[in-house]
Amino acid sequence: MPFLSFLVTQSVNALSQAALLFFLGVGLTLIFGIMRIVNFAHGTFYMLGAFIGYSAARLTGSFWLALVLAPLAVGILGALFELGILRRLYRRDESAFLMVTFGLALVLTELIRLGWGPEALPVGPPAAFSGILMLMGEPFPAYRLFLAGAGAVVALGIWQFLERTRLGLLIRATSQNAEMVHALGIDVNLVRSAVFGIGCGLAGAGGVLAAPLVTASIGMAATMIIDAFVIVIIGGMGSFPGSLLGAVLVAFVQVFGEYYVPDLALAFMYLVMLLVLVIRPGGLLGKEA
Amino acid sequence: MALLELDELTRRFGGLTAVDHVSMRVAKGEVRAVIGPNGAGKSTLFNLITGILAPSHGTVSFAGESVTGLSAPRICQRGIARTFQLTALFPEMSARENVRLAAQAREPRRWQFYGGRAVFETASDRAHAALERLGLSAIAHRPAGLLSHGDQRLLEVAMALAQEPQLLLLDEPTQGLSVEETAQAVETLSGLFADGRMTVLLVEHDMEVVFRLAHRITVLHRGAVIADGLPEAIKQDERVQGAYLGGLT
Amino acid sequence: MTLLTEALILGLFAMSLDLMVGYTRLISFGHAAAYGFGAYACGWLLLHTSLPMLAAIPLAALLAGVLAIGIAWVCTQASGVSFSMLTLAFAQLLYAVAYKWTSVTGGSDGLAGIPRRAGPFALHVFTGRNGFYYLVMIVLLGAFLFCRALVRSPFGAVLRGIRENEAKTLALGYSARLYKIAVVALSYGLGALAGALYAPFAGFANTELLFWLLSGQVLIMVIIGGAGTLIGPILGAAFFLIVEHQLSNYTEAWALFFGLIFIAFVMFAPEGIWGLVRARFRRSGAEPDVNRGVARAR
Repeated sequence: MPFLSFLVTQSVNALSQAALLFFLGVGLTLIFGIMRIVNFAHGTFYMLGAFIGYSAARLTGSFWLALVLAPLAVGILGALFELGILRRLYRRDESAFLMVTFGLALVLTELIRLGWGPEALPVGPPAAFSGILMLMGEPFPAYRLFLAGAGAVVALGIWQFLERTRLGLLIRATSQNAEMVHALGIDVNLVRSAVFGIGCGLAGAGGVLAAPLVTASIGMAATMIIDAFVIVIIGGMGSFPGSLLGAVLVAFVQVFGEYYVPDLALAFMYLVMLLVLVIRPGGLLGKEA
Repeated sequence: MALLELDELTRRFGGLTAVDHVSMRVAKGEVRAVIGPNGAGKSTLFNLITGILAPSHGTVSFAGESVTGLSAPRICQRGIARTFQLTALFPEMSARENVRLAAQAREPRRWQFYGGRAVFETASDRAHAALERLGLSAIAHRPAGLLSHGDQRLLEVAMALAQEPQLLLLDEPTQGLSVEETAQAVETLSGLFADGRMTVLLVEHDMEVVFRLAHRITVLHRGAVIADGLPEAIKQDERVQGAYLGGLT
Repeated sequence: MTLLTEALILGLFAMSLDLMVGYTRLISFGHAAAYGFGAYACGWLLLHTSLPMLAAIPLAALLAGVLAIGIAWVCTQASGVSFSMLTLAFAQLLYAVAYKWTSVTGGSDGLAGIPRRAGPFALHVFTGRNGFYYLVMIVLLGAFLFCRALVRSPFGAVLRGIRENEAKTLALGYSARLYKIAVVALSYGLGALAGALYAPFAGFANTELLFWLLSGQVLIMVIIGGAGTLIGPILGAAFFLIVEHQLSNYTEAWALFFGLIFIAFVMFAPEGIWGLVRARFRRSGAEPDVNRGVARAR
């Protein structure tokens, strides 16, 4: 395959991967921005989205419905968790949050295993995008193009949401100065629950979108949270544009790394995380963690 | 020879110059107060001296040797001890254990796994002495986190003393104390400094405390030294008078 | 008897983590790396060399401890969440390596048929079921005494200082990073010792021993048992094993229940079972329990 078309196809491939990673990372960074905690269960919400999406698609026969229902379910679950459990821990130190969300990751993983079994479950891409297109003379799955596009659209949407809507403004304000927002009479706790729910919902959406491509398994939970963490670290904890940058960078490293040095992919991620943590712990774009 | 010498010490944070070419010489046995309004750079100055921050420019010399750029633990080991503006203690350990841990840092075999009893004994003795000098013996067994604010401030001083430093840096020791607690603290501190063997750098907002304890005063404004001299002279200094002695800070 | 032996091995594993989590508040999500490495190293030595069991076990642990110094150096570059993520990432890395390096580790099948070789001094007594139990008991006891001496030593006092206010320990002149590296290396070494005991005990070593769920389970044992008490985690391990064996007869969801119990403990009883027991025996006004582990409020 000539180099240019290789480059283009792999780049679009990477962009589709970046879209999935973006869904994973943006929620984590938003949650951190508001609550100053890293949601260790974030990767598991992503996985949960995939499995709920599978069931929803089977039940309704529609991928698109699943794409709406699963993130909603995951988001609500997340918000309930924040309300019921995380809220009680705000006066404790960060290790308590870490362990509780870790516990949640374990619980959710077990729930998935019990509910859906340990095997990967097949989810087909929606009929509209299940075909193959020609990209620069090479066959390319339409679904991946759809993903890349969807990622861009959602990123734009979230950006506008944060900039233009009232809730978006509240979110940005709370992440900068929660006290002030509270003093203005706004229920900061509600904002927190909403953000946690939205963040988890976005992860769940990512899971549904990833389902046609990836074989979900319970081992994923650990890799996903590491991926999410690396994305957020690179872009900067709490930085929305940072999560986009991080997702793109990680995706390109993963896709091209997988091609050139296939067995070292995981080691690469570890190295990247290390480098960023050591050299620029605040991330490339973000505020100090 | 000055025990502590700062030469054109500067620290910038992006566009902000927090400490601006500060030069200072503190003689052995001297109690030097550093005053100035909020944001004058006093705590940053302390952080530069104790190695928590590295200077953008300039040098710090202690006992004739340069300590510029050394890490905080290294500088402390050279003989500088400090207290913090926001009380820094080990809240679940007892007051006695807090001071013992401070004293332990001075023991040459403090990292030992076995045979630690000797280390603990010497450290405990020093801790006991320091607690006595600060009048804290009565509450030595209580968890540090449960002490009154005043006692906590004094506990921090005890911890610094237990390290038998050559230079003691006190960052607003009377901050947050009531009038009685302040008076008591001043009594205790002045007793500590009475024999002239302690060299002290003292950041304070309370002018009465400053005039009671300090031999010399250095005044900072926007990171730079604007006045430096004996308390009486500083009192009369117009520049200083206008801005700082009006009790606004 | 085998259940008891397994409980003791897991107890050692959990106790090793307590040094990091309970005494220094370095939360590791990758402690399975120590266990798995110890098991694989010991298993490999027993399979491919003629070393007796009593030599292979400590050798594997020592090797792990030495390598852990490097890991510790890397992980302690960061703190808080980042530290935890690095420990997890490292364990994942080891898992992937074990999975792929089939020639050495046997890939997903792992190492099988690991012998309990007695060696030239005819120490056969330790190779039988009862004998092995006593071996594990001795090792656990020895490790416990060592750890107890450690946490009561000046070194241990510094660890507690780091746990409660690391910045202050730096200001007092302690090179906190070195202490952290030391405790992490020790912790991994002892964890590997447990793994090294597991290999000849079970006769096999596989990638399950490096899986993140095991890292989670041992953390749960520490917290539920009582972080910062040494004994608590051993109890936690026993508790875990009993629940696993009993509950798994009735329901597949026992791991789920454990996760929920874990969350409940973190929220409402962070000092753990043993911590609660100890608190019961101390009346207020007396010297406080300075090993309250992760119960500290912000």
